[in-house]
Formats: sequence, structure tokens, C-alpha cells
Amino acid sequence: MSAIPGVVAVNTFREAVRDRVLYNLVFFALLMIGAAILVGQVSIGIDRLVIVNLGLSAISIFGFVMAVFMGVGLVYKEIEKRTLYSLLAKPVRRWQFLTGKYAGLLLTLLVNTLFMTAGLAAALYYVGRPFLRSDFSIVVAIYFILLALALVTAFALFFSCFSSPMLSTLFTLGVYVTGFFAADIRDFGKLTHNPLISAVTRAIYYVLPNFHNFDAIAAAGHGEPIPGALIAQNTAYAVVYVALLLVASSAVFSSRNLK
Amino acid sequence: MTRSVQSRSIRIVAIAAPILLAAVVLLQTGIDARTRSIAQQKEELLLQSPATAKKLSLGYDALLADVYWTRAVQLYGDKVGKTHEGFDLLYPLLNIATSLDPKLLPAYHFGAIFLSQTGIGGAGRPDLAVKLVQRGIAANPEDWHLDLDLGFIYYWWLRDYSDAAKAYLAASKAPGGPSWLSITAARMAQKGGSLEMSRMIWSQLYESSKDPRVRKNARDELTGLKALDDENHLNDLAVGYRQRFGHFPASSADLVHSGMLPGVPLDPAGFPYQFGLDGKAKLDRRSPVVISPPPPSPPPRPPDKSPAK
Repeated sequence: MSAIPGVVAVNTFREAVRDRVLYNLVFFALLMIGAAILVGQVSIGIDRLVIVNLGLSAISIFGFVMAVFMGVGLVYKEIEKRTLYSLLAKPVRRWQFLTGKYAGLLLTLLVNTLFMTAGLAAALYYVGRPFLRSDFSIVVAIYFILLALALVTAFALFFSCFSSPMLSTLFTLGVYVTGFFAADIRDFGKLTHNPLISAVTRAIYYVLPNFHNFDAIAAAGHGEPIPGALIAQNTAYAVVYVALLLVASSAVFSSRNLK
Repeated sequence: MTRSVQSRSIRIVAIAAPILLAAVVLLQTGIDARTRSIAQQKEELLLQSPATAKKLSLGYDALLADVYWTRAVQLYGDKVGKTHEGFDLLYPLLNIATSLDPKLLPAYHFGAIFLSQTGIGGAGRPDLAVKLVQRGIAANPEDWHLDLDLGFIYYWWLRDYSDAAKAYLAASKAPGGPSWLSITAARMAQKGGSLEMSRMIWSQLYESSKDPRVRKNARDELTGLKALDDENHLNDLAVGYRQRFGHFPASSADLVHSGMLPGVPLDPAGFPYQFGLDGKAKLDRRSPVVISPPPPSPPPRPPDKSPAK
């Protein structure tokens, strides 16, 4: 297999670091420190729980914002700066470029998430409790967040292959929010008792990305074990969905006239 | 831009920025003063439906539950000890918090305390506290402490000894629940609201809770019960003293001089008991010991006007 996507990925990561996107870690650290100190003063009985919930939610939200806003600019920036043309003049296929860009952003998100995980662990240590075996569910929840971010990034990249960054952002946000209401759309179809509408809403349910699959924050907060089978299923779901989006993105981008 | 222009700009900013910032603070203070009366008119809970809150949380329901629980704590902290009213939002807040995160045990545990306490100490709605804890038990059948909470509400606030006994029995049968709670249940069914029963309940609450606030409260109650025991004993002695001397003792020293007591009895805080003209023993005014009044008679269960679903 060609090393080109890997080279593009590393360069995308370097570019992200140069763009100071990892500065968000400072905000995360401040948030964690503030929460660790303040929560005990304003609430009762949830000192540790709120650190887990807030930490995981912040990892998810910060990651989501990065995935969307960087994802929609991955292709656009290269076209805007005209660096894409010199790159494609070399023996680089468009799908390789796209895959590399995607992997680079994923690497950025991974590094960012790892730092935030360390911050979360430090905050948990501060509120005072030794780490237990049940805390492994926090690690699983973070893994699920990464899977969700991989999906969001793939959507952002897909939309950016044929629309402006502004529209791509709106489309990605739309898919993300609609994905949370997928079950409601399916249930709405059932309520109509119309076989056709029911079939359509059922199809929509399966086509839309179901982001609820990756929601394990509450379980992690309470130290509930997350079954290994679910971890495997969610991983497979994310891999398949991302592959589908990357294939679609490559097809759209390859057929696009860049002149 | 020349260096002199640059330094002049910096100087202007250095002077103007604090002045403008001070102006913003002054203006905001003025706006706050004007809008405070409006803000205090009525606190509202815009989102009263737990289902809608869960949908709109976009997967951050656990964090939102913490927010609602913290808001409930803040509301309680703001009202308790000051007013009889203003607790209307307490149950809806707790309801949403526990619907968003059904495993949020502190919300059931402390929420039930907030809801059941009467007077200016709480919402005075033990019926809603029962409803909240019952939902908690349904969502967390493995946690026997919730059954214990339910039993306490029935026993202390509702004086429903039969249901209290059932709850204590359920706690004894729940996974990890201490088997001796079944003895409590049996005694409760038998002895209802006796002093002995109260002591047993508070002792168990003290032993079973890890929360320092709950433990302190239980310890204070036990201290109060000890003082109540002493007072009852001294009252009996005072009656005997009157039979012998024709009048009540003026102080516990009289009982000592008469040989009815070996020494001056002290309350748990170390203060001697006093006697009233009616011969009733009472705590010294300086004593920090508090004997709680008995819980009020079970209130008639009001029609459920709040959105308690």
C-alpha cells in the first residue's frame, strides 16, 4: 500500500499543531481545575461524578468543534491556497489525498483527546479517590467519543468535497443533530400506521448515523461495565460508516473539476 | 506605523481601557439593580418535561442531570430557613435530574430530605419524597439505602408504620442489605412511634450513611433523644420528690440532697438540667443540645398540582 496517505496525514497533523489548535487544551485544563474546586461548594454528593460527566462532555464537545470546523476546511483550504494543484501534479491520487487528510485530522483529534484524558485523570485524582477497576468504563467512553468524532470528521470531509465551508458546517451539524432524533423519526413513522411512511422512516433511521450508540458518559460516571460485544459492534459500525463516507467523498472529489 | 505613534496608541489604550471597563461595571450594576425586582418575581423552569430535556440534551444528559441537581441544591439552599414557600420548583427539578440520569443517587437521597422536611426546613411534601424515592428504587433495585430512605419518610414524616415496616423489610432483602433491618421492620410494625423505635432508626441512619451531613444530623438527633430520656427520668423522680416533700424540686441538686440521685445529672453537652415550676426537667439555656419536636401529624395528602409525573 502506498505511503502517500501517511505522509499527507503527518503533514495535516503538523499543520494543525502550527495553527495552534491544541490551545483548546488550556481551556479544558481551566475547566477541569475550576470544576474540581467549585463543584463541591455548589452541589452535594456528585463531586467525582460531575468531574467524569463534565470531563467526558468537554472532551466530546471540544473534539466535535475541532472535527467540524477543521474537517470542513480540509479540502477547501488546499484549493483556496492553491497548494492542492501542486500536490495533485505529483503522483498523488485524489483518494489518497483525501484519506491522508482524514487520517491527519483524526491523529490531531487523538492527540488532543489523549491530553484531555490525562487532564481528566488528574482532576479525578485531585477530588480524591484511588482509581478502581470500574474506571475502565471511562476509558471505553472516551474511545466511543473518538469513534463518534471519526464519524463526524468523515461527514465534514464528505460535505466539504462539494460545498463551501459554511454550508458543510451546517450540513454536518444537521446530520449530527438529526442523528440523535433517528429513533424518533422511525417511531413517528410507526405512529402513522401507513406501511409506506413507516418503511421510509425506518430506512431513514438506518441511513442516519446513530450517535446515541456512542453515548456511554452516564455509564462511565456510575462505573457501570460496558460489554465487550458493544465495544466491538460500535467499532465495526464506525469503521463501516466511515469507509462508506470516505468512498463517497473520494468519488465526489475525483469527479470534481478543479480547473 | 512609527514608534512614537505606536507608543501613543499603547498609552491611549492603557488609559481608556480601565475607564471603559469601569463604565461597563457601573452600567451593569445599574441594570442589575433595575432588573433584580423583575428577576425575583418568579423563578421559572422553562423545560418541565423530562422527556424533552433528554431529547434536547444531544447525548449530554448525564451532565445536564448534574446541572439540574445542582440547581435543586441551590434552590433549596436559597430558601431553607428563610421561607415556607418557594419550594414549588424543587420536585420538577429533581424529577428532571433523575429522569436524565436515573442512577443519580444523591438526587434521590438528599432530594427526599429536602422534599419531606416541614416548616422553613423544606418543602413539606413527604408524599412527593415518597414518589421520588420509589422511582429511585425502581431504577436502582440494587441500592438498599433507598429502601431505608423510603422507610424513614414513612416512619418519621408520614407516621405510616405499616409502610415503613414494609420498606425496611425490602431494604433487608435487597442485595447487600443488612439482615438486621428485618428485625427493625418487625419491631416497627409492633411498636410504631415509640422513643425506643426512634433511637433505633436514627442509630441505623447514623451507621449506614457515609455522608458527614447525614451522620451529624443523626448524631444530633440521638443526642436529643438521650436528653429526652434523661428528662423523662428526672420528671418521674420529680413526681416522687413531690410525694415525699410536698413540692417539686427547684433544681437537680435537691434530688441529690434527698438521696434520690447520686450526683447532679448533666445533659450530653455537660450542662446540668433545670427544673420548671411545674416540676418538668428541661435543658439549660446555654446547652447546645436540641430536642427535636415530634414530627407533625401526617398531612392530608394534597391533590397533586405540581407536574409530578
